[in-house]
Amino acid sequence: MKERIHKDVVIIGAGMAGLTAALYCGRMNLDTLVLENGLIGGQIANAVAIENYPGFVSVNGGDLIATVQKQAETFGAVIDEFDEIEKVTLKTSPKIIETQEKIYEADAVIIASGMNRRKLPLPEEKKFAGRGVHYCELCDGHAYDGKVIAVAGGGNAAVDAANFLTKYATKLYLIHRSQFRADEVSQKRLRANDKVTIMLQTDIKALRGDKKLKEVEVFDKTTGETKTLAIDGIFVNIGVEPNTKLFKDELTLTASGRIPASEDCRTELAGVFAAGDVREKEVRQLTTAAADGTTAALLAEKYLAKLKVAI
Amino acid sequence: MVKVYSFESCPWCNKVKNYLKARGVEFETRDIELSEEAAAECQKISGDLTVPVTTIDGVHYVLGFDKKKIDELLASA
Repeated sequence: MKERIHKDVVIIGAGMAGLTAALYCGRMNLDTLVLENGLIGGQIANAVAIENYPGFVSVNGGDLIATVQKQAETFGAVIDEFDEIEKVTLKTSPKIIETQEKIYEADAVIIASGMNRRKLPLPEEKKFAGRGVHYCELCDGHAYDGKVIAVAGGGNAAVDAANFLTKYATKLYLIHRSQFRADEVSQKRLRANDKVTIMLQTDIKALRGDKKLKEVEVFDKTTGETKTLAIDGIFVNIGVEPNTKLFKDELTLTASGRIPASEDCRTELAGVFAAGDVREKEVRQLTTAAADGTTAALLAEKYLAKLKVAI
Repeated sequence: MVKVYSFESCPWCNKVKNYLKARGVEFETRDIELSEEAAAECQKISGDLTVPVTTIDGVHYVLGFDKKKIDELLASA
Protein backbone atom coordinates (compact mmCIF):
# COMPACT_ATOMS: atom_id res chain seq x y z
CA MET A 1 0.00 0.00 0.00
CA LYS A 2 1.45 3.35 -1.06
CA GLU A 3 1.78 6.14 1.49
CA ARG A 4 -0.59 9.12 0.91
CA ILE A 5 0.96 12.55 1.43
CA HIS A 6 -0.67 15.97 1.19
CA LYS A 7 1.14 18.91 -0.44
CA ASP A 8 0.04 22.49 -1.09
CA VAL A 9 1.71 22.41 -4.49
CA VAL A 10 3.20 19.66 -6.60
CA ILE A 11 5.38 20.88 -9.46
CA ILE A 12 5.91 18.39 -12.27
CA GLY A 13 9.31 18.96 -13.84
CA ALA A 14 12.55 20.44 -12.51
CA GLY A 15 13.71 22.53 -15.44
CA MET A 16 14.05 26.30 -15.23
CA ALA A 17 10.25 26.85 -15.11
CA GLY A 18 9.65 24.21 -12.43
CA LEU A 19 12.55 25.22 -10.23
CA THR A 20 11.68 28.92 -10.47
CA ALA A 21 8.11 28.05 -9.47
CA ALA A 22 9.53 25.99 -6.57
CA LEU A 23 11.69 28.92 -5.47
CA TYR A 24 8.68 31.26 -5.39
CA CYS A 25 6.37 28.69 -3.77
CA GLY A 26 9.01 27.99 -1.14
CA ARG A 27 9.40 31.69 -0.36
CA MET A 28 5.62 31.90 0.11
CA ASN A 29 5.84 29.12 2.70
CA LEU A 30 3.85 26.68 0.58
CA ASP A 31 4.52 23.00 1.22
CA THR A 32 6.10 22.29 -2.18
CA LEU A 33 7.26 19.13 -3.89
CA VAL A 34 8.99 18.97 -7.27
CA LEU A 35 8.95 15.67 -9.14
CA GLU A 36 11.37 15.06 -12.01
CA ASN A 37 11.59 11.91 -14.09
CA GLY A 38 14.66 12.91 -16.08
CA LEU A 39 17.51 15.30 -15.38
CA ILE A 40 17.18 18.21 -12.98
CA GLY A 41 17.58 21.20 -15.27
CA GLY A 42 15.87 19.55 -18.21
CA GLN A 43 17.17 20.68 -21.56
CA ILE A 44 19.73 23.10 -20.14
CA ALA A 45 21.41 20.45 -17.99
CA ASN A 46 23.37 19.60 -21.14
CA ALA A 47 24.10 23.19 -22.19
CA VAL A 48 27.81 23.92 -22.11
CA ALA A 49 27.56 27.70 -22.25
CA ILE A 50 24.44 29.84 -21.97
CA GLU A 51 25.07 33.35 -23.23
CA ASN A 52 21.55 34.77 -23.35
CA TYR A 53 20.48 34.57 -19.72
CA PRO A 54 20.60 38.04 -18.15
CA GLY A 55 23.16 38.49 -15.39
CA PHE A 56 25.73 36.13 -16.89
CA VAL A 57 28.17 36.75 -19.74
CA SER A 58 28.37 32.97 -20.13
CA VAL A 59 27.24 30.28 -17.73
CA ASN A 60 27.29 26.49 -17.82
CA GLY A 61 23.73 25.05 -17.81
CA GLY A 62 24.50 22.61 -15.02
CA ASP A 63 25.99 25.35 -12.83
CA LEU A 64 23.07 27.71 -13.44
CA ILE A 65 20.46 25.10 -12.64
CA ALA A 66 22.35 23.90 -9.56
CA THR A 67 22.12 27.45 -8.22
CA VAL A 68 18.38 27.68 -8.87
CA GLN A 69 17.93 24.24 -7.28
CA LYS A 70 19.82 25.42 -4.20
CA GLN A 71 17.66 28.56 -4.04
CA ALA A 72 14.46 26.48 -4.19
CA GLU A 73 15.69 24.02 -1.57
CA THR A 74 16.89 26.84 0.71
CA PHE A 75 13.29 28.05 0.90
CA GLY A 76 11.95 24.62 1.72
CA ALA A 77 10.96 23.07 -1.60
CA VAL A 78 11.66 19.34 -1.80
CA ILE A 79 12.90 17.87 -5.08
CA ASP A 80 12.55 14.15 -5.82
CA GLU A 81 14.25 13.00 -9.03
CA PHE A 82 13.99 9.26 -8.44
CA ASP A 83 10.31 8.53 -7.82
CA GLU A 84 8.77 8.41 -11.27
CA ILE A 85 5.20 9.63 -11.83
CA GLU A 86 2.87 6.89 -13.02
CA LYS A 87 -0.50 8.64 -13.17
CA VAL A 88 -2.11 12.01 -12.57
CA THR A 89 -5.74 12.92 -11.83
CA LEU A 90 -6.21 16.65 -12.19
CA LYS A 91 -9.97 17.11 -12.47
CA THR A 92 -10.55 16.35 -8.77
CA SER A 93 -9.86 18.40 -5.67
CA PRO A 94 -7.32 17.68 -4.34
CA LYS A 95 -5.43 16.58 -7.44
CA ILE A 96 -3.78 13.17 -7.26
CA ILE A 97 -0.23 12.40 -8.42
CA GLU A 98 0.66 8.77 -8.13
CA THR A 99 4.35 7.85 -8.27
CA GLN A 100 6.08 4.48 -8.16
CA GLU A 101 6.30 4.74 -4.37
CA LYS A 102 3.72 7.28 -3.12
CA ILE A 103 0.38 8.96 -3.71
CA TYR A 104 0.47 12.73 -3.44
CA GLU A 105 -2.66 14.83 -2.91
CA ALA A 106 -2.03 18.38 -4.06
CA ASP A 107 -4.27 21.44 -3.83
CA ALA A 108 -2.48 22.97 -6.82
CA VAL A 109 -0.37 21.51 -9.59
CA ILE A 110 2.13 23.32 -11.77
CA ILE A 111 3.01 21.38 -14.91
CA ALA A 112 6.51 22.30 -16.07
CA SER A 113 7.40 19.01 -17.69
CA GLY A 114 9.19 20.62 -20.62
CA MET A 115 10.31 18.85 -23.75
CA ASN A 116 12.05 15.62 -24.69
CA ARG A 117 14.66 15.36 -27.40
CA ARG A 118 13.33 13.89 -30.64
CA LYS A 119 15.02 10.66 -31.66
CA LEU A 120 16.51 10.09 -35.09
CA PRO A 121 13.59 8.68 -37.10
CA LEU A 122 15.45 5.75 -38.65
CA PRO A 123 14.89 2.02 -38.06
CA GLU A 124 18.58 1.53 -37.14
CA GLU A 125 18.45 4.18 -34.41
CA LYS A 126 17.76 1.65 -31.65
CA LYS A 127 20.56 -0.65 -32.77
CA PHE A 128 23.16 2.12 -32.56
CA ALA A 129 21.78 4.11 -29.58
CA GLY A 130 24.75 4.49 -27.23
CA ARG A 131 26.90 2.74 -29.86
CA GLY A 132 27.52 5.66 -32.15
CA VAL A 133 24.19 7.46 -31.89
CA HIS A 134 24.12 9.88 -28.95
CA TYR A 135 21.91 12.56 -27.47
CA CYS A 136 24.20 14.04 -24.79
CA GLU A 137 27.38 15.66 -26.06
CA LEU A 138 28.49 16.51 -22.53
CA CYS A 139 28.25 12.85 -21.44
CA ASP A 140 29.53 11.11 -24.53
CA GLY A 141 31.56 13.67 -26.50
CA HIS A 142 34.86 12.72 -24.86
CA ALA A 143 34.49 9.16 -26.20
CA TYR A 144 35.09 10.65 -29.66
CA ASP A 145 38.40 12.36 -28.98
CA GLY A 146 40.39 12.23 -32.20
CA LYS A 147 37.44 10.80 -34.13
CA VAL A 148 35.08 11.89 -36.91
CA ILE A 149 31.78 13.18 -35.56
CA ALA A 150 28.50 14.22 -37.15
CA VAL A 151 25.84 16.41 -35.58
CA ALA A 152 22.26 16.23 -36.83
CA GLY A 153 20.17 19.39 -36.56
CA GLY A 154 20.28 23.10 -37.29
CA GLY A 155 18.85 24.87 -34.25
CA ASN A 156 20.71 26.46 -31.35
CA ALA A 157 21.12 23.15 -29.48
CA ALA A 158 22.62 21.44 -32.53
CA VAL A 159 25.02 24.24 -33.44
CA ASP A 160 26.10 24.71 -29.82
CA ALA A 161 26.67 20.93 -29.58
CA ALA A 162 28.71 21.03 -32.79
CA ASN A 163 30.81 23.94 -31.51
CA PHE A 164 31.46 22.02 -28.28
CA LEU A 165 32.32 18.77 -30.08
CA THR A 166 34.94 20.42 -32.29
CA LYS A 167 37.28 20.20 -29.30
CA TYR A 168 37.26 16.41 -29.69
CA ALA A 169 36.66 15.87 -33.41
CA THR A 170 39.32 15.68 -36.07
CA LYS A 171 36.50 16.30 -38.54
CA LEU A 172 32.90 17.30 -37.87
CA TYR A 173 29.89 17.23 -40.19
CA LEU A 174 26.85 19.32 -39.35
CA ILE A 175 23.94 17.75 -41.21
CA HIS A 176 20.56 19.48 -41.36
CA ARG A 177 17.49 18.84 -43.47
CA SER A 178 16.73 22.55 -44.09
CA GLN A 179 18.31 25.93 -43.28
CA PHE A 180 19.92 27.03 -40.01
CA ARG A 181 17.62 28.20 -37.23
CA ALA A 182 20.46 28.81 -34.79
CA ASP A 183 21.54 32.26 -33.61
CA GLU A 184 23.90 34.02 -36.00
CA VAL A 185 26.68 34.25 -33.40
CA SER A 186 26.75 30.43 -32.94
CA GLN A 187 26.63 29.86 -36.71
CA LYS A 188 29.56 32.21 -37.25
CA ARG A 189 31.63 30.37 -34.65
CA LEU A 190 30.95 27.07 -36.38
CA ARG A 191 31.62 28.35 -39.89
CA ALA A 192 34.98 29.74 -38.74
CA ASN A 193 36.22 26.29 -37.67
CA ASP A 194 38.32 24.50 -40.33
CA LYS A 195 37.35 21.05 -39.04
CA VAL A 196 33.69 21.63 -39.84
CA THR A 197 31.75 20.78 -42.99
CA ILE A 198 28.20 22.15 -42.99
CA MET A 199 25.67 20.18 -45.00
CA LEU A 200 22.32 21.99 -45.20
CA GLN A 201 19.26 20.80 -47.15
CA THR A 202 20.55 17.30 -46.46
CA ASP A 203 18.58 14.30 -45.16
CA ILE A 204 20.09 11.42 -43.22
CA LYS A 205 18.83 8.31 -44.97
CA ALA A 206 20.56 5.40 -43.22
CA LEU A 207 22.96 4.42 -40.45
CA ARG A 208 25.39 1.56 -41.04
CA GLY A 209 27.87 -0.47 -39.04
CA ASP A 210 28.32 -3.78 -37.27
CA LYS A 211 28.24 -3.45 -33.49
CA LYS A 212 29.09 0.25 -33.70
CA LEU A 213 28.09 2.95 -36.14
CA LYS A 214 30.57 3.32 -38.99
CA GLU A 215 28.86 5.41 -41.62
CA VAL A 216 25.81 7.46 -42.52
CA GLU A 217 24.13 7.78 -45.86
CA VAL A 218 23.00 11.30 -46.67
CA PHE A 219 20.97 12.82 -49.48
CA ASP A 220 21.71 16.34 -50.67
CA LYS A 221 18.32 17.76 -51.70
CA THR A 222 19.90 20.62 -53.65
CA THR A 223 22.13 18.51 -55.92
CA GLY A 224 20.15 15.26 -55.74
CA GLU A 225 23.37 13.47 -54.78
CA THR A 226 23.59 10.58 -52.29
CA LYS A 227 26.82 10.29 -50.26
CA THR A 228 28.22 7.95 -47.66
CA LEU A 229 30.18 9.59 -44.83
CA ALA A 230 32.56 7.53 -42.71
CA ILE A 231 31.95 8.68 -39.12
CA ASP A 232 32.53 7.33 -35.64
CA GLY A 233 29.53 8.89 -33.95
CA ILE A 234 26.54 11.12 -34.50
CA PHE A 235 25.02 13.49 -31.95
CA VAL A 236 21.34 14.09 -32.56
CA ASN A 237 19.76 17.50 -31.91
CA ILE A 238 16.80 17.50 -34.28
CA GLY A 239 14.34 19.21 -32.04
CA VAL A 240 12.14 18.42 -29.12
CA GLU A 241 8.61 17.28 -28.40
CA PRO A 242 6.40 18.26 -25.48
CA ASN A 243 6.43 15.92 -22.51
CA THR A 244 2.65 15.75 -22.08
CA LYS A 245 1.83 12.04 -22.38
CA LEU A 246 0.84 11.92 -18.70
CA PHE A 247 -1.78 14.62 -19.17
CA LYS A 248 -3.52 13.62 -22.39
CA ASP A 249 -6.60 12.25 -20.62
CA GLU A 250 -6.81 15.14 -18.18
CA LEU A 251 -6.24 18.24 -20.28
CA THR A 252 -7.01 19.30 -23.82
CA LEU A 253 -3.74 19.52 -25.72
CA THR A 254 -2.95 21.66 -28.77
CA ALA A 255 -2.12 20.19 -32.17
CA SER A 256 1.58 20.31 -31.25
CA GLY A 257 0.90 18.38 -28.03
CA ARG A 258 1.40 21.34 -25.71
CA ILE A 259 -0.92 22.61 -22.99
CA PRO A 260 -3.08 25.60 -23.90
CA ALA A 261 -2.77 28.37 -21.31
CA SER A 262 -2.41 32.12 -21.65
CA GLU A 263 0.24 34.38 -20.12
CA ASP A 264 -1.27 33.77 -16.67
CA CYS A 265 -0.35 30.06 -17.04
CA ARG A 266 -3.87 29.01 -15.96
CA THR A 267 -5.14 25.90 -17.75
CA GLU A 268 -8.76 24.90 -18.32
CA LEU A 269 -8.71 23.17 -14.90
CA ALA A 270 -8.88 25.28 -11.72
CA GLY A 271 -5.70 24.91 -9.70
CA VAL A 272 -3.69 23.48 -12.58
CA PHE A 273 -1.06 25.71 -14.18
CA ALA A 274 1.25 25.15 -17.15
CA ALA A 275 4.68 26.79 -17.19
CA GLY A 276 7.67 26.84 -19.51
CA ASP A 277 8.11 25.12 -22.85
CA VAL A 278 5.18 22.77 -22.25
CA ARG A 279 2.78 25.74 -22.46
CA GLU A 280 1.59 26.64 -25.95
CA LYS A 281 3.23 29.95 -26.79
CA GLU A 282 5.29 31.58 -29.51
CA VAL A 283 8.55 32.26 -27.68
CA ARG A 284 10.26 29.49 -25.71
CA GLN A 285 13.46 30.65 -24.05
CA LEU A 286 15.14 30.10 -20.72
CA THR A 287 14.11 33.60 -19.67
CA THR A 288 10.45 32.98 -20.55
CA ALA A 289 10.55 29.65 -18.68
CA ALA A 290 11.69 31.51 -15.55
CA ALA A 291 8.95 34.10 -16.13
CA ASP A 292 6.31 31.37 -16.46
CA GLY A 293 7.52 29.67 -13.29
CA THR A 294 7.17 32.96 -11.44
CA THR A 295 3.67 33.64 -12.77
CA ALA A 296 2.42 30.11 -12.13
CA ALA A 297 3.70 30.12 -8.54
CA LEU A 298 2.23 33.52 -7.67
CA LEU A 299 -1.16 32.64 -9.16
CA ALA A 300 -1.12 29.18 -7.56
CA GLU A 301 -0.66 30.91 -4.19
CA LYS A 302 -3.64 33.19 -4.99
CA TYR A 303 -5.70 30.13 -5.91
CA LEU A 304 -4.75 28.35 -2.68
CA ALA A 305 -5.62 31.43 -0.59
CA LYS A 306 -9.11 31.53 -2.16
CA LEU A 307 -9.49 27.79 -1.67
CA LYS A 308 -8.77 28.15 2.06
CA VAL A 309 -11.35 30.94 2.38
CA ALA A 310 -13.95 28.78 0.60
CA ILE A 311 -13.31 25.92 3.07
CA MET B 1 32.21 -2.31 -3.94
CA VAL B 2 30.04 -0.50 -6.49
CA LYS B 3 32.07 1.44 -9.04
CA VAL B 4 30.72 4.26 -11.18
CA TYR B 5 32.77 5.10 -14.26
CA SER B 6 32.01 8.73 -14.94
CA PHE B 7 33.41 12.23 -15.09
CA GLU B 8 32.57 15.38 -13.21
CA SER B 9 30.57 17.42 -15.73
CA CYS B 10 28.44 14.51 -16.98
CA PRO B 11 24.82 15.13 -15.83
CA TRP B 12 23.63 11.51 -16.11
CA CYS B 13 26.73 10.34 -14.18
CA ASN B 14 25.78 12.72 -11.40
CA LYS B 15 22.24 11.38 -11.44
CA VAL B 16 23.52 7.82 -10.94
CA LYS B 17 25.78 8.94 -8.08
CA ASN B 18 22.95 10.92 -6.45
CA TYR B 19 20.70 7.87 -6.69
CA LEU B 20 23.27 5.63 -5.01
CA LYS B 21 23.74 8.25 -2.28
CA ALA B 22 19.94 8.49 -1.81
CA ARG B 23 19.83 4.70 -1.40
CA GLY B 24 22.74 4.78 1.05
CA VAL B 25 24.93 2.68 -1.24
CA GLU B 26 28.68 3.18 -0.91
CA PHE B 27 30.45 3.50 -4.22
CA GLU B 28 33.76 4.39 -5.77
CA THR B 29 33.90 7.05 -8.46
CA ARG B 30 36.26 6.11 -11.29
CA ASP B 31 36.84 9.34 -13.25
CA ILE B 32 37.67 8.47 -16.84
CA GLU B 33 38.83 12.02 -17.63
CA LEU B 34 41.29 12.22 -14.75
CA SER B 35 42.58 8.66 -14.84
CA GLU B 36 43.81 6.77 -17.90
CA GLU B 37 43.62 3.60 -15.84
CA ALA B 38 39.91 4.21 -15.12
CA ALA B 39 39.28 4.92 -18.82
CA ALA B 40 41.00 1.66 -19.77
CA GLU B 41 38.91 -0.26 -17.21
CA CYS B 42 35.71 1.32 -18.54
CA GLN B 43 36.67 0.43 -22.10
CA LYS B 44 37.33 -3.15 -21.01
CA ILE B 45 33.99 -3.48 -19.20
CA SER B 46 31.60 -1.98 -21.74
CA GLY B 47 33.76 -1.88 -24.86
CA ASP B 48 33.34 1.88 -24.97
CA LEU B 49 33.94 5.14 -23.15
CA THR B 50 30.28 6.13 -23.00
CA VAL B 51 29.35 6.80 -19.38
CA PRO B 52 27.97 6.43 -16.73
CA VAL B 53 28.85 2.76 -16.36
CA THR B 54 27.88 1.20 -13.03
CA THR B 55 29.31 -2.17 -12.05
CA ILE B 56 30.08 -4.29 -9.03
CA ASP B 57 32.01 -7.23 -10.45
CA GLY B 58 33.53 -5.52 -13.49
CA VAL B 59 31.59 -7.87 -15.77
CA HIS B 60 27.90 -7.04 -15.40
CA TYR B 61 27.21 -3.35 -15.81
CA VAL B 62 24.47 -0.76 -16.35
CA LEU B 63 25.02 1.87 -19.01
CA GLY B 64 23.34 5.23 -18.34
CA PHE B 65 20.78 5.94 -15.63
CA ASP B 66 18.26 3.11 -15.45
CA LYS B 67 16.83 2.86 -11.94
CA LYS B 68 15.33 -0.59 -12.46
CA LYS B 69 18.55 -2.05 -13.86
CA ILE B 70 20.68 -0.43 -11.15
CA ASP B 71 18.34 -1.87 -8.49
CA GLU B 72 18.68 -5.32 -10.10
CA LEU B 73 22.46 -4.97 -10.22
CA LEU B 74 22.57 -4.02 -6.53
CA ALA B 75 20.21 -6.86 -5.62
CA SER B 76 22.42 -9.37 -7.42
CA ALA B 77 25.45 -8.51 -5.25
